[in-house]
Amino acid sequence: MLLEIEKLTKVYRTGARANDAISLAIGEGEVFGLLGHNGAGKTTLVNQVVGLLKPTFGSIRIDGRDMVANPGLARRLCSFQAQAQVPIDGLTPRQAIDLIGQLRGAPRVDVEHRRERLVDALELGEWQDVDAARLSGGVKRLVAFAMAAVTPGRVVMLDEPTNDVDPVRRRLLWRQVRTLADHGAAVLLVTHNVIEAERSVDRLAILDEGRVIAEGTPAALKARLGAALRLELVLDPDVLELPASPFGLSAVPVGNRLMVGIPTNGAGQAVAWAESLKAAGSVEEFTLGPATLEDVYVALVGDAGARPAQAEEVFDASAA
Amino acid sequence: MQALRNYQLLVTWQALRKKNYLPLMMAVQTLFSLGIVLGYPLLFPTLDRTSIYLIATGAPAISMVSVGLVALPQTVGEQKTEGSLAYMRSLPVARLSYLVADLTVWLMIVIPGVILGVFVGAWRFGLDLQISPLVVPAVLMVALTSTCVGYAIASLLPYMLTVIITQAIVVFVFMFSPLTFLPDKLPGWLETIHQMLPIQAMGEVTRGTLAPNEFGLPLGAFLTLAIWCVLGFGVTYAAMSRRG
Repeated sequence: MLLEIEKLTKVYRTGARANDAISLAIGEGEVFGLLGHNGAGKTTLVNQVVGLLKPTFGSIRIDGRDMVANPGLARRLCSFQAQAQVPIDGLTPRQAIDLIGQLRGAPRVDVEHRRERLVDALELGEWQDVDAARLSGGVKRLVAFAMAAVTPGRVVMLDEPTNDVDPVRRRLLWRQVRTLADHGAAVLLVTHNVIEAERSVDRLAILDEGRVIAEGTPAALKARLGAALRLELVLDPDVLELPASPFGLSAVPVGNRLMVGIPTNGAGQAVAWAESLKAAGSVEEFTLGPATLEDVYVALVGDAGARPAQAEEVFDASAA
Repeated sequence: MQALRNYQLLVTWQALRKKNYLPLMMAVQTLFSLGIVLGYPLLFPTLDRTSIYLIATGAPAISMVSVGLVALPQTVGEQKTEGSLAYMRSLPVARLSYLVADLTVWLMIVIPGVILGVFVGAWRFGLDLQISPLVVPAVLMVALTSTCVGYAIASLLPYMLTVIITQAIVVFVFMFSPLTFLPDKLPGWLETIHQMLPIQAMGEVTRGTLAPNEFGLPLGAFLTLAIWCVLGFGVTYAAMSRRG
């Protein structure tokens, strides 16, 4: 494996244990997702890999070489898109991408060539020569990605790369993430966007309170849930007691919804059960669909921070 | 060679980052020099020869100190808050290259005001300054020391505290530092403090090289500056290299 993290532990001076014995391994050509709520310890982990933070305990190796002892080497071998908006006001995207590409050690001609390809691929052409101070947050985010990708390290770490990016360019961005891996980089993708991660990563780990609580391919994690289908019940606001699932699988409340795991052969029974709940008035509506990575995530981590958009929709519907 | 190339790239990066404010910063700090040279005679219509020379040579010193100890820490503090420093630290660039490149850009901001201040002072008071060739290393030393110490302040303190401290420094430099007057005007205890701080030495080497026929050039002042310069640079370098 190209990037090997073993028992990585980070305790801040305040006593907060942001990473607790995290072990991960990511291979060349692999896109690895790191999922978790805000404060789960994702950013602390990548900051340690790139040498901005020193681990309290544990090891980080790239290609077998110790990165904790060689933070300078870590910065050469890793390119990094930070979670915070990249500070490039005053520069145009063209200048920022070219300068960073050269600072990462590539010859100017190569950098310009790669920048042209990235700008085309991300459809950034019209903003290429505009001062970054006048760019939207989403465009700046794409420029930051291009800065990390123009002279990629052997490990590329992207911390919430799609924040603020419009849906069309998100797809373009994901394609470029995959291209980075296809060219041999190990891509570590930090996100709390579970739906996007499911489509984009080869493997992933779910982090909660600084610990890895699950790891595997999206398919393997979904299989762990033991449910191929997911029944989503929208509960009547006046219902005090959650309906008990007859299937014995996961049943996780998220806001005023209940996500119930259903086995493949249980579709008919599930619909009948949901209909009966609806007739009894305890459920307003329901949907049955294939289980997603989000269901795994919710089952493991609970609903704090998960599905915020849907929670808002529910709130709005009841307010109306 | 890579270090030199990185230095050039980083100077370009830092200068472009500041380009929207660079002309304004240069103008404001040039006004510091001009304000002192043109404003002091309004406050004190009759000035003796020594005071005139002190004002003409003190103005560029004040300008350098105010950029290094006030404008720079505030800007660097802002960069720290917005994540700019952390981003630069994540690049495969020697801390030294980054620091030297940033200091170069700050010197570019300081120097035009210093030169203009000297000429306007000489013209306003009709002085015939016998400028020593040592003025070049002297001005570089003063500018470098004040920027290094300013950098250290911003590196060590949280942003809000930096802003407050630098405001206090403005008052201290303008009113209670022997740049446009001689140290013997100060109360004894403050005179003693100034013998340890770098500001007095900055004034001494500036006026000692701009008007060597009027003021001596105490070599000890260079030593004081060198110590503060190394101290400021060392603290900054250590703060930048530190992993939290």
